[in-house]
Amino acid sequence: MRAALALPILVLPAKASAAEVGEVGITLLGYKERGLMKVTEPVLWARAQFLDAWEVQASVAVDIITGASAQLVTNASGAPVQSLSGASINDRRNTGDIKVTRRFGEFSVSASRALSKEEDYHSKSFGIEARLDLNQRNTTLVAGYGASNDRVLSSDDARLNERRDTREYLFGVTQILSPTSLVQSTLSTSRGRGWYNDPYKLTFTFYPDGLPILMADRRPDHRDSVAWLTRYRRHFPDANGTLQADYRYYRDDWGIRAHTLEVAWHHALSERWAVRPALRYYTQDAADFYSPTVPRPQPAVLSSDQRLGAWGGLSPSLRVVARLDGAVTVEGTVGYVHNARNFHLGGSSSPAFETLRAVYGILGVSRAF
Amino acid sequence: MNLARWFLVALSLCVSACTAVAPYQRGYLARDDMALDSNPGHAKAIEKTFAAKEAASGGASVGGGGCGCN
Repeated sequence: MRAALALPILVLPAKASAAEVGEVGITLLGYKERGLMKVTEPVLWARAQFLDAWEVQASVAVDIITGASAQLVTNASGAPVQSLSGASINDRRNTGDIKVTRRFGEFSVSASRALSKEEDYHSKSFGIEARLDLNQRNTTLVAGYGASNDRVLSSDDARLNERRDTREYLFGVTQILSPTSLVQSTLSTSRGRGWYNDPYKLTFTFYPDGLPILMADRRPDHRDSVAWLTRYRRHFPDANGTLQADYRYYRDDWGIRAHTLEVAWHHALSERWAVRPALRYYTQDAADFYSPTVPRPQPAVLSSDQRLGAWGGLSPSLRVVARLDGAVTVEGTVGYVHNARNFHLGGSSSPAFETLRAVYGILGVSRAF
Repeated sequence: MNLARWFLVALSLCVSACTAVAPYQRGYLARDDMALDSNPGHAKAIEKTFAAKEAASGGASVGGGGCGCN
């Protein structure tokens, strides 16, 4: 999981009164797919500024995953369909991260560390970011480097213990456009090497003639990607609201091209209450080696994991924010996820993609101190 | 790389097209709803919700680590 970073530094001087001490919060995520997985994730987080030059942000979280997972794709009954794992999955992931920032006038540097451990996946990563404020802090440039050293294991195969190493580079700019608007654009590249196969996914294909073939998930041993994320904020004082728009273009050398667009309107109803309706749209093309059936001759790489297929998703959500006495803020979000092949933008979608419907709720309480 | 070139063009346009906003004019920019990220708890929860089901990820930061997400 890639953790989002803190506020743009160029905005911090104006927030000094609120941020010079700190904030601590707890957030609880509940996510449930229709007929599949259920995820519960409590997150405890804190951030603080001190001595005018230091900022620390840290969090710990636990993912508790239960339910069934799609394990086998087979055309035994005609068209290829997903078959769920027989036994109920019961997984737990512990994760934590910390980021320390030191400011030197117009320049600041951050170092971050993140650890994640679950029964079948271990991840250790670090990051370094440098920021430079220019043009009287109207412009902030950022450059970053990150590395992740992961271990892929399997709860079904004790012998599996493979590496996955990733290096990331990021360049970006945050620009104040006017007294009511700003934009941030970041370009990040990722270069991954190692084990990308999913040890739990299988493809079982029957042919009109000859014996059926059962093939394990086999993916390339590398993955290079580019993500271009642009975020825009504009406040409308007369309407008491703020437009929040995020767009990300993603592509990788597996052949996946994806677009993500989220538009939200944060509306202040009063000093105390605010609502934020949002709509998120996502679409991706299929990986070159995605197929719900095993063609003949059998290819070297093939995955029937529908997350690598061509599909799209719509996700509306509504957040309610209440600022209570004593610097306490309560935020609640409810959202709906609907992923389907007919939401795919352009070209042909993957016929074997099975519609996913899920609901989620996020409840958070934070307190400034 | 074409994407990097487009990024630089967009960056140049963005920076050159703007007029400086003085610190005393930044009251609206300091509002919580103008922040680029939600609070860390919400941001992680949202990221988790979508990253486990989609092939695309990343873009906002580096060094965040990964998960099995099966």
